[in-house]
Amino acid sequence: MPPELSVVLAAVALPFVAAVSTPVLYRLLGERTGYAGVAVALASFLLLASQRGTEGPVGLEWIPSLDIALRFYLDGWGLLFAMLACGIGTLIFLYSPAYMHGEPHLARFYTALLAFMGSIVGVALAADLIAIFLFWELTSLCSFVLIGHYTADDSSQYAARMAMFITVGGGLFLLVGLLMLSIVAGDVVGPDAAFNLAAMLETPEAMADGLRERGLFLPVLGLLAIGAGTKSAQVPLHFWLPNAMAAPTPVSAFLHSATMVKVGVYFIGRMRPILVGEEWLFLFATLGLTTMTVCAIMAVAATDIKELLAYSTASHLGLMVAGFGFTSIYGAETGVFHLLNHALFKAALFLVAGIVAHEAGTRNIDDLSGLRHDLPVTALITVIVALSMAGIPPFNGFYSKELLFEAAVEASHYHDIGVLGWLYPAVAVFGSIFTVLYSLRFLSLFFGDRPDALGHVHRPSTTLVVAPGVLAILAAAVSIRPQLAVDAIVQSGVDATALEHHEMHAGLPTSYSTPVGMSAITIVLGLAAYPFYGRIHDGLNAALAAAPPIAANWWYDAIVGGLTGSGARIGDRIHNGLLRTYATWTLLGTCGLALAGFVAAGTVASSELIDFDAAPAVALVLLVAVVAGLAVALSDSHIAGVLTLSILGFMVAIFYILASAPDLALTQLVVETLVLLIFLLVIEEIPEYYEVSLGKYARDAVVSLAVGVTAFITVLVTTDARPEGSTDIARVYAEQAVPEGGGTNIVNVTLVDFRGFDTMGELVVVAMAAISILTLIVMRSGGDDE
Amino acid sequence: MTTVVMRTTARVVVPIILVVSISLFVEGHNLPGGGFIGGVLTTTAFAVIYLAFGLDFLERGVLGRDVDPGKEPSRDRVVVAYRRLFEYGLAIAVLSGLVPLLFGLPFLTQTFVIFEHVPIYGEIEIASALAFDFGVYCVVVGGLLTILSVVGAE
Repeated sequence: MPPELSVVLAAVALPFVAAVSTPVLYRLLGERTGYAGVAVALASFLLLASQRGTEGPVGLEWIPSLDIALRFYLDGWGLLFAMLACGIGTLIFLYSPAYMHGEPHLARFYTALLAFMGSIVGVALAADLIAIFLFWELTSLCSFVLIGHYTADDSSQYAARMAMFITVGGGLFLLVGLLMLSIVAGDVVGPDAAFNLAAMLETPEAMADGLRERGLFLPVLGLLAIGAGTKSAQVPLHFWLPNAMAAPTPVSAFLHSATMVKVGVYFIGRMRPILVGEEWLFLFATLGLTTMTVCAIMAVAATDIKELLAYSTASHLGLMVAGFGFTSIYGAETGVFHLLNHALFKAALFLVAGIVAHEAGTRNIDDLSGLRHDLPVTALITVIVALSMAGIPPFNGFYSKELLFEAAVEASHYHDIGVLGWLYPAVAVFGSIFTVLYSLRFLSLFFGDRPDALGHVHRPSTTLVVAPGVLAILAAAVSIRPQLAVDAIVQSGVDATALEHHEMHAGLPTSYSTPVGMSAITIVLGLAAYPFYGRIHDGLNAALAAAPPIAANWWYDAIVGGLTGSGARIGDRIHNGLLRTYATWTLLGTCGLALAGFVAAGTVASSELIDFDAAPAVALVLLVAVVAGLAVALSDSHIAGVLTLSILGFMVAIFYILASAPDLALTQLVVETLVLLIFLLVIEEIPEYYEVSLGKYARDAVVSLAVGVTAFITVLVTTDARPEGSTDIARVYAEQAVPEGGGTNIVNVTLVDFRGFDTMGELVVVAMAAISILTLIVMRSGGDDE
Repeated sequence: MTTVVMRTTARVVVPIILVVSISLFVEGHNLPGGGFIGGVLTTTAFAVIYLAFGLDFLERGVLGRDVDPGKEPSRDRVVVAYRRLFEYGLAIAVLSGLVPLLFGLPFLTQTFVIFEHVPIYGEIEIASALAFDFGVYCVVVGGLLTILSVVGAE
C-alpha cells in the first residue's frame, strides 16, 4: 500500500512551520512554548504512525529540469527512525519547560529544537539525494545553534564550532559520494532516476554491479562512510560528541539518544542493501567495534555524568555501526533493534542526568552517591535503563547485544576473514565489559551512602520525571516482551536494511550457544572488575594526562590551532591594507588558476596562432589601442594616464563596432565614459608623485605581463573552441529571439528573456556591492583610517 | 573642476544624456540598449553633475536642504533615495519573475503582446521583459549612484 503524500508532507513540514512561528508563540505562551512543541511533535508522530504498514515513494516536483524532486520514501526503517525522533521529541518538549525555567533565549532554543526535529524526520524519509543532503546539513546547522545555546560561554562556543566543523565537513564528503552515486544511477536505473534513492533501492544488485564496473564502488563506500562516521561520531572523529554535552540537557538527550548522532547509523542502514559485501564488512565492522571499545574505555575515564553518557553514546553508536557492518541477517537485526533500544534507555539516562544536575547542583560523579533516598522514582527509572544499557538480561539492551555477538560469530561463516573471525567476537566482548562497568558506575549514583558534602536535594517537578518515566516504561515493556517491539516495527525495519527476508525472533535464550557464553563472560568479568573501578578510572586518566596525543581532542586542537596561526600569518602578508597588494595577489591568483585550468584541460596546445587575418580598419584601431596602452605606462602625470587609458577603451569600443557588436560597443562606451568621469572626480585626491623602488617596478611588470598573457590565451582558447562558426545555443538564440522573446535585439532578449536568472544574479551582485560599500563606510569608526 | 565652461556644458549636456539614456532603455528590446546600458548612462549624467557642481549640489541646489559639506553622506536624503532605488529595483525584478508562477509557468518566464493600429505609433509591442529590464535599470542606477556618492564624499 502506498503512503499518503499529504500526510507525509504534513509530518515533515509541521515542525518547520512551528519553528517559523515560534517567536509569535513565545510572545503568547512565554515559557510554556515547550508544550506547544509537545503538540507539534505528537501530531507529527501520530501522522507518521497512521502510515505504518505502507511502503513506497511519494513526492512533489521541485526542479524538474534537473530531475530533482522533493521525494519521500516510506518503509519500516525510515518510519522507525522518524517516529523515534518525533516520539522522543514529544518527551523532550515536555521536559524542557521545567528544566529550562528562567533561561535566556528560549524562543531561539525552541525554534532550533523544532527545526532540528523536522530535519531529522526529513533525513529519515527523504528519498532524493539532494533533499537528503539538505536535511542532513540542516541537522548540523540546528545542532550548532543548540550546542552553542549558552553563547557567552567559551566551552559552549568551542563545542558548537567543533561539532559544526566535523559534521558539516563530513557532510561535504557525503555530498561527493552522493554525486558519484547519482552518476552511476543515471546510467544503471535511468536518466530520470539520477537522484532517486527509492529507485536505486529497488535494484540494489544492479547498482552495486554498476558501481563496481566503473571502479566507483570503493570511493563511494569510503566517502559515505566518512560522512556517516563524522555524523555518528565514529573513531577517530568521535570527540565532538562528548564535547557537545555543553548543550542544555534536553538537547543532549535529544541529540545523543535518538536523533542527529544516529543519522549516520541510519544512513548506513539505508545504503546497506546497495553496498553490502566483503569491503563493507571490513570497513564498518572494524570501525564500529573500534569505536565501541575506545569510547567505552573513555566512558570509564569520565568524571562528569553527562560526559560518561556521551562517551557511552558514541560507544553504542559503534555497536550499531558494527551490527550493520556484519553482512549476515543478524547484523541488520542488531542495527535496527539496538537503534530502538538505545534511544529508549539513553534518552531516559540523559534526562535522569539532567534531573540529578538540576536538583543536586553538581554533575561530578565522585560527589554524587546514595541519591535513592532523595529521588526514589528517578532511582527506579535508572535501575531499568542503566541495566538495559549494561546489557544485563532480561533488560532490552541485552537482546540487541546478544544479536551483535551472534553476528560477530557468524561473520567468519560467511566470509573468509582469517584471524578477524576470532578478533571481532573477542573485541566485542572486551568492549562490552567496559559497558557493564560504566553502567554500574552510573547506577551507583543512587546507591551506597549519601556523602555529607551533598546539600539538600530538591524533589524534581512532575513534568521532569514523566518523560524519563515514560521511556523507562517503554524500555521495560520491550524487556518483558521483546517480540512486541519486533512485530510492531523492528521486523519491517530489518526487511528494509537486509537483502533477504528472515522472520526475526527475540527472547531469552533457552539453551547454551556461543553468544550466550559471550554474554555470560561479559557480565561476570564486568561484575568482577567493578570493585576495581576507581583504580581503572585513575589509571586511564593518568595515561591520558601522560600522553595527550592519545586523545583525539588533542589532535583537533593541534590542527585547528595550527591552521588558525598560519591563517593569521598568511592574512598579514596578503591583507596588509594596501590596495596594490590585494590587486597583486588577486590578479596573480586568478591568472595562475586560469592558466592551470587550461593546461589541465589540455586546451592551450591545440590553439594555432598562424592563421591571423584582420581587416585593415580593425588592425589600425587595435594598433592605436596598443600605442595608447604603452602611453599609459609611460605617462608621467595621472591626468595624462587616465586620458590615454580612455583612448584605449574607446578604441576597443570602435573595434566592437567594426566587429558588428553594437550592444557591446555601447556598453563599452558608456562604461568608459563613466570610469573617466569617476577618475576625474577622485584624481585631485591622489598624491602627485610616489617614491617607487625598482623592485616594485619589476613586480608590476611581471603582474601586468601575466595578466596580459592570461587574457590573450583565454581569448585564443575560448574563441578557438568553435572553428565551424556559431555554436548550437547561439544559433537557437538568434533564431528564437523574435518568435519567443518578441525583440530583434538578440543581446537584450538573451539577457532578459532567455537568461533572466543570470541577469538576476548580476543584479544581486550590484546591489550587494552597493550595500557593502555603504556598510563599510558607515560602520567604520571615524578617524583611524589614515 | 567647477569651472564656468564645465558648468555651462553640463547644463546643456545632462538633459540630453538623460533623454538618450531613457530612449536606450525603452528601445532596448529591439535596438542596441537595454536596462544595463541605460542605467549606466543615467549614472553618467549624475556623475557629470557631481563633477561640475560638487557632491552637495543635488541636496542644496535642487532639494533646497542645508547640509554640511562632506559629512555623513550615507544619511543624506539623496543617498537614501539611491539606496531605495536599487532596493525597489531588485523587488521589481523579483516580482516580475514571480508573476509567471501564478499562471503555472516557471520563474522568470517572459511574454509579449503586440497592439496594432495605435494612433501615431501604428504598432506597439509591450513585452513583459520590460518590467524585468526596468528592475535592472533601477538597480544599476541606484547601486552605482550609491557607490559614487558615498565613495565620492570621502
